[in-house]
Amino acid sequence: MRKTFAYFINFFLLLMPVSSMAQDTVSFPLKIRIGADIAGPGFYMSDKNNLSIEGCVSFDRSEKMAWVAEAGYLDYKYSQYNYNYLSKGWFTRIGVDFNLLKPDISAGKYQAGIGLRYGVSLFSSETPSFRHDNYWGTTTSSIPSRTRMGHFVEVTPGVRAEIFKNFSMGWNLRLKMLVSGGGGKDLRPIYFPGYGSGGKRTAAGISYYITWNIPYRVKTVITKPDAPEEPEDNEEPAVNSNQQRSVF
Amino acid sequence: MKKAFIFIMAFSVLAMIISISSCSPDACFEETNAFLKASFYLDQTKKLKAPDSLTLYGLNAVGGRIYNKAAKIQPALFPLNPSADTSSFVIKINGVSDTIKFIYRSYPHLISKECGYTFFHDLDTIFYSKNIIDYIFRGNNSITTKNEENIRIFY
Repeated sequence: MRKTFAYFINFFLLLMPVSSMAQDTVSFPLKIRIGADIAGPGFYMSDKNNLSIEGCVSFDRSEKMAWVAEAGYLDYKYSQYNYNYLSKGWFTRIGVDFNLLKPDISAGKYQAGIGLRYGVSLFSSETPSFRHDNYWGTTTSSIPSRTRMGHFVEVTPGVRAEIFKNFSMGWNLRLKMLVSGGGGKDLRPIYFPGYGSGGKRTAAGISYYITWNIPYRVKTVITKPDAPEEPEDNEEPAVNSNQQRSVF
Repeated sequence: MKKAFIFIMAFSVLAMIISISSCSPDACFEETNAFLKASFYLDQTKKLKAPDSLTLYGLNAVGGRIYNKAAKIQPALFPLNPSADTSSFVIKINGVSDTIKFIYRSYPHLISKECGYTFFHDLDTIFYSKNIIDYIFRGNNSITTKNEENIRIFY
């Protein structure tokens, strides 16, 4: 029994140097990120009727995946020749980000990947006045303020890069699909927090984040070395001198 | 890293320009009126037959005649008054007049951000005279912007 154990240990000792020779390791800092979106306030500079503020927290679970929680506030006003519309409230999104960069390239500083989110919005919307013209003349009416809840899902491709130590910048495209706008089929919200144009089944947006990164653990990640290229065998198979090629 | 940063900045500026330009209001191309749609049937054959001459106007309406001795109207579109719960019409089929009164409930409906709101209606009751009209068959009571028949007028 003792002899068997000694053989067993020796066998592993024999294997270990071989396996470490075949693999490289990278020290990958796992981080907690706290960020703020600057696209919303940026748009507000050009359109004072649309104030959107949002922030995010993400937590690296591994070098490939991070848990993400985002929250924000919207105050939206819209007016055109036949109606006025107001919407304001809060939203939150939770989901995951997948970093598609290799750990040795990413190094905890660069991110390029895709994220998935589920969003919930609690908001009030109101149409203080609207006008409808038909054969009988003009009818004016209003829709009083009501509290509603909207649900949506998002796919968010994006990139992020560390510009100073522990500070990153980057953008996320937001490709959204409406689950429920909360207004029934007749009074869908025209615009609601976190989603945007509630009258449409799909919507798109962009977030531009500045994030503060807090490393909380260093993970040693094994990177697989590139597989040696196999020599391409482009040469034609040798033709037996005795064989003749057929010509068509 | 500098290259990556420049790329991110350039893409972001481009995306912002696209987003801002996409915020400009678009034109409304959708139907904004919910009409009651009435098809005409010949009572003798029970087959679809447009009147040779159709005149239609609302009682006490400001809009004038909806159809004036028009031929081959199929279906006829009756605009209901969203400010009231009844609308009455004079209908002249092949030179013979009748009156139709609709009782309904109106409610607001969002068409789109570009078009704004309209009124849809739920049809409740129909009263009509029987000079040329034999009877009116009620189909779909929901009066919307969809191209769906609501009543059949047999004459």
